[in-house]
Amino acid sequence: MYAYDDYDHALVNARVAEFRDQVNRRLSGELTEEEFRPLRLMNGVYLQLHAYMLRVAVPYGTLSADQLRKLAHIARKYDKGYGHFTTRQNIQFNWPKLVDVPDILDELADVEMHAIQTSGNCIRNVTTDQFAGAAADEVADPRPYAELIRQWSTFHPEFTFLPRKFKIAITGAGADRAAVKWHDIGLVLKKNDAGEIGFAVIVGGGMGRTPVIGKTIRDFLPEADLLSYLEAILRVYNEQGRRDNKYKARIKILVDALGAEEYARLTEEEWQAIRHHPVDVPAEEVARIHAFFKAPPLPVLSDDVPTVDAFAEKNFLFAAWLKNNVSAHKVPGHVNITISLKPHGGIPGDASHSQMDLVAALADRYSQGEVRVSHEQNLILPHVAKKDLPAIWADLDEAGLGTANAGLLTDVIACPGLDYCALANARSIPLAQSISARFDDIKRLMDIGPLKIKISGCINSCGHHHAGHIGILGVDRKGEESYQLLLGGSGAEDASKAAILGPGFDEAGIVDAVEKVVAVYLGEREDGEEFLSTYRRLGPDIFKEAVYGTH
Amino acid sequence: MAKKISGPQMVIANRLDDGRVVFLTSSGDWSARAADAAVADDDVSVDALRSVASASEAANRVLSVEVIEADVHNGVPHPAHMKFAMQAKGPSVRADLGYQVSPDWER
Amino acid sequence: MVLINLTGITTEAWTHLEDDMMPGADTRVAAPLARLTEEAEGFFAAVEAVGAVVSTDADYRSLAPLANKLSFVVIDFPAFGDGRGFSLAVRLRKDLGFTGEIRATGPVIPDQAIHLMRSGFDTVEVEDKREAAFKAALKRYSVFYQSDYTGRTALTHARHAVQERRPEQQRKAS
Repeated sequence: MYAYDDYDHALVNARVAEFRDQVNRRLSGELTEEEFRPLRLMNGVYLQLHAYMLRVAVPYGTLSADQLRKLAHIARKYDKGYGHFTTRQNIQFNWPKLVDVPDILDELADVEMHAIQTSGNCIRNVTTDQFAGAAADEVADPRPYAELIRQWSTFHPEFTFLPRKFKIAITGAGADRAAVKWHDIGLVLKKNDAGEIGFAVIVGGGMGRTPVIGKTIRDFLPEADLLSYLEAILRVYNEQGRRDNKYKARIKILVDALGAEEYARLTEEEWQAIRHHPVDVPAEEVARIHAFFKAPPLPVLSDDVPTVDAFAEKNFLFAAWLKNNVSAHKVPGHVNITISLKPHGGIPGDASHSQMDLVAALADRYSQGEVRVSHEQNLILPHVAKKDLPAIWADLDEAGLGTANAGLLTDVIACPGLDYCALANARSIPLAQSISARFDDIKRLMDIGPLKIKISGCINSCGHHHAGHIGILGVDRKGEESYQLLLGGSGAEDASKAAILGPGFDEAGIVDAVEKVVAVYLGEREDGEEFLSTYRRLGPDIFKEAVYGTH
Repeated sequence: MAKKISGPQMVIANRLDDGRVVFLTSSGDWSARAADAAVADDDVSVDALRSVASASEAANRVLSVEVIEADVHNGVPHPAHMKFAMQAKGPSVRADLGYQVSPDWER
Repeated sequence: MVLINLTGITTEAWTHLEDDMMPGADTRVAAPLARLTEEAEGFFAAVEAVGAVVSTDADYRSLAPLANKLSFVVIDFPAFGDGRGFSLAVRLRKDLGFTGEIRATGPVIPDQAIHLMRSGFDTVEVEDKREAAFKAALKRYSVFYQSDYTGRTALTHARHAVQERRPEQQRKAS
């Protein structure tokens, strides 16, 4: 993991002092709310329905055990004993007092964490593959590049007051677990014919009320040119992005208006002018950052572990967890564990302080002190020796963290919705709870197979409904919550936009509709065919007929 | 930009220092209890409430001030719209948190 | 209003030319870019110094023909969140090679002082009551990750340029 040097510490400490001063100036009335708002947002402080909310950055989803313990401590001391992991690999606290936030930031700084640029019209936390540096299918580890981008984008003098928020995602594997095509900039690490590392650069993706899948503007960008190229993209956007209408201010609208080719041309022109200027960091700095992400020295072990097989034979839930929540690691005899934060009937992405403490303890003992946050709102223990799985599962299961549903229908992404969010039109969480209660049967879920349900409580799409195999969008219909059903989206390498199937439902109705959609799939699927493939093969009509009975 | 008033209205806001939800009372103070809220049902009295609330906002006591529709049963007001009703209580998925526990749940 | 000097540049007062008013000889004047673009050589020769006033939405290329005749440029922010002003200053320095004074006016806030300085601004005109906050903000940060227009070395370079003086940094990282 990256470790701060004196400079990094100095910057973060200066920021805490600055925010403390800003809070004091706001409380004294020196700053108006209009002036304070963008400043607090750039430190991750929102005003939600019931209280302020603090969004803490988890840079590219990587946490140390000590950092996770600190988050647990903050949940206990300043909040109501829990936190919420988000689709951008961050964590949100729902009840901090504004007057306490500077102290919270001070405590975070002690463990090299912050809330810088977790909101506001600036470059946000860079997200990546939760299995980065540990996945078996990886071309290169994206984390060093994510850290380079984090540093370049932190307090960028020119790009802190952009037309709108700006999100960058990066993946190092062929399987896209970071939804890069749905980001303002998506980067895909690849090797060229000469075996050199570089990136495919995608721009203009985004969700919100105008869902757009990003377009590739460069097939191969040499790694050394990453920052100057990003700077060129951002400069064009900062100058030309719309500022007259916040719903048309994202880069996706500009890329659409200019055309991807023209955007590529403008970027290329500016990039040629600034390439090799100091914006690109020296090779020694790249090497320094890479050194922090060296693979841990794991012994090569056998993938055959009879004790694990024996335990799985006796225990169906463990066997299911082994199949669904455990994935391949680069080093034989090792695995990565997805800890589901989607207990059936529970709140997706929420973790209590004691659960955080437990995961931190397990990380210290079994996963090199490392924890990851996935964009699907789960936690990951990377680099685990396969032989340790039964012990880990037993501890997790006892704490309500052993649900064997990773990647299955009940592994629902849901935004906080109207239960917390001031922008929401409808609740999301109760719907996720009803769906997981309805499908509370691991055998049935495994029979259904990979199926991603994503729920947003408003058109801002924080719950990624546009990218759901089944997407659900909550709307306010004359003061009543109503839910639209969308099918066929994907956030993976085969990214696609989900389409609305038909008229909306109330809460009970939408759960029934989901069940009907699943029933069509089960009846129509071909051998080994996953839900999304069946939908793409058949199209929406047969699902529409089942859900609405139009005949 | 005065909107035509239809039915009883109340004023909701968040306290500046801790963000907690409060309602404007007839004494010009703020209460965590929706039932304590002052209710106005004509333009003149709504404007009067609004100006008291705005003064409080300008004095940096509250933010996010909104005049909202009230449901009044047996003389007790409650926010009519689901969003503001949620604010008066707390998250529906955490019955253990918020003013649904008690108006002084944090003390 | 009070003038905050971000870079220590030497600056003198100037007059804003209203409408078609003509400048007196040997004066320092500021006028909207649109007017300056129309003016003939004689205008520039008559006065001591000319500055262009532009809004944040100006295309830097429209300043190019005048750049070597201008002593200063005033970038007027219509709102503090209009970040185009930062890119405009960068463009003036980077693409037009402009070395004169760049001043920010409009409702910019103290918390932007360092961003202004780092993007190439020299001065900023602020309300009197903001003076202390602006000056305090300038002292808040001493190191930055990026290269900028203050002549400071970016951290990413500085980390490796100062090895002799900071051996402990090197040890930690390797």
